Amino acid sequence: MKRRLFIASAVSTLAGCGPVSAALNQNQGVARVLASAEGLNHALIGTRGLAREYGERDVAPTFRVNGFATPSDQRYVQMVRGNFAAYRLVVDGAVESPQAFTLAQLRRLPQRTQITRHDCVEGWSVIGKWSGVPLAAVLAAAQPRGDARFVVFRCMDNDGAGNLYYESLDLHQARHPQTLLAMRLNDAPLDPDHGAPVRLRVPTQLGYKSAKWIARIEVVGSFADVYGGHGGYWEDQGYEWYAGI
Amino acid sequence: MKGAVRPAIYRYALLTRVSHWAWFVAFLILVGSGLQIFNASPNLDASDQSDPARRVLAIGSPAEGVGTTTIFGRTFVTTNWLGWTGDGMGSRGEHAFGASITIPGYQDLAGGRRWHLFFAWIAAACWLAWLVSSAVKGNLRELVLRPGDVPKLWPMQAYYLKLRKAAPPHGVYNPLQKAAYTTVLFVIAPLVVLTGLALSPGIDAIANPLTVLLGGRQFARLWHFAGMLLLLMFFAIHTFQVLTQGVVNQMRSMISGWYQP
Repeated sequence: MKRRLFIASAVSTLAGCGPVSAALNQNQGVARVLASAEGLNHALIGTRGLAREYGERDVAPTFRVNGFATPSDQRYVQMVRGNFAAYRLVVDGAVESPQAFTLAQLRRLPQRTQITRHDCVEGWSVIGKWSGVPLAAVLAAAQPRGDARFVVFRCMDNDGAGNLYYESLDLHQARHPQTLLAMRLNDAPLDPDHGAPVRLRVPTQLGYKSAKWIARIEVVGSFADVYGGHGGYWEDQGYEWYAGI
Repeated sequence: MKGAVRPAIYRYALLTRVSHWAWFVAFLILVGSGLQIFNASPNLDASDQSDPARRVLAIGSPAEGVGTTTIFGRTFVTTNWLGWTGDGMGSRGEHAFGASITIPGYQDLAGGRRWHLFFAWIAAACWLAWLVSSAVKGNLRELVLRPGDVPKLWPMQAYYLKLRKAAPPHGVYNPLQKAAYTTVLFVIAPLVVLTGLALSPGIDAIANPLTVLLGGRQFARLWHFAGMLLLLMFFAIHTFQVLTQGVVNQMRSMISGWYQP
């Protein structure tokens, strides 16, 4: 009896895991239980620590493009044609002093250069040299209000189905010294594939948090009303909001 | 008539049995979901950042209907096994490991990560609970390999190979069992945990020396995969031994705790 039970359970676990795990995977209750690990990981790892900064010789010859390539969105195509002269980085929402930075204004803010590793959720890694403005400096200019908790990044690409890419960070991660609004990669202005003219770099989390083609930074108390409500394009498709692991 | 049946002995405490079976389930889920995660980037490099020049393993599909596996630069055609496999929805495609052995049973990186990161906690918690309880009860002494056991390893193996009539004297576990359990529980399992942690950019920011010690992030991914293969090997041998050495008695003892010597 026990032997049969054992063999049956072993066979169903090994050979039948496809259909069984598929059904379990699509169950909302199961997904919620499994996702509880995210809160634990966030609490334990958090946004402490500084990502390792490398030397010039560690920089990869070509920085592999993560996520989508150059957006085909009409607004973006026109902006590339005009060499981003029309670009404004809007910072608004729960702030005392909304801002609209030109690229020249962003370049006049204190700059930071860091050579860090990009870790993609898919598993690969690549090291690049990034320069730009720490997000903290841009937020300081806009002065988040007391009810501000998160920063939502709205981007200039869509996935072809009309969904704009977006991401979000909590204020702690947003003010992390290595959280950068990058404008240069490997000593050259960002190209469209890598997120021109301004992209995020969050080296302490997985690559999908580092949103490209940022048009607007919105400071909010909650992101529950933004698109799918999970705080990001990939998060709305089941990926963790806390991508430190 | 033979002598009276020897009395059964209570061999496994409840916590040992519960953690054993929880580990069994968690291990299979971690392997399946780990293969799902591997499929998203089916290469292993002995380096920090991805580096094709230091590629140890690459599973891919160079052409429609063809799967290949490249190990240390040598390529083998593995169509239908690796590289070109079932997608779990009735057809085949470019997936390193087939959907029949991944969790979930179709391509879903986000889902695989959810299963993996949850059951990693279950497996680690079971290991820790078992370790603390065994240490408190003093049972670890019977299980852990000691320097005095080392000279008995070969005689025990010789006995198994029928080169020797009697097993060397030993306690509850023989020297080979001690060596196997000590290696799995105190070397490979912690290595798998540490190499998994080193893959996390958040933990890397807190404990970069760990990643450096392992040879970098991609190298940690390689160690993590190798640790999984070693645990699978142990699992196969362990299952073979249970099946060939009185499976009913063995199973009963790990379910009810009572073993018939």
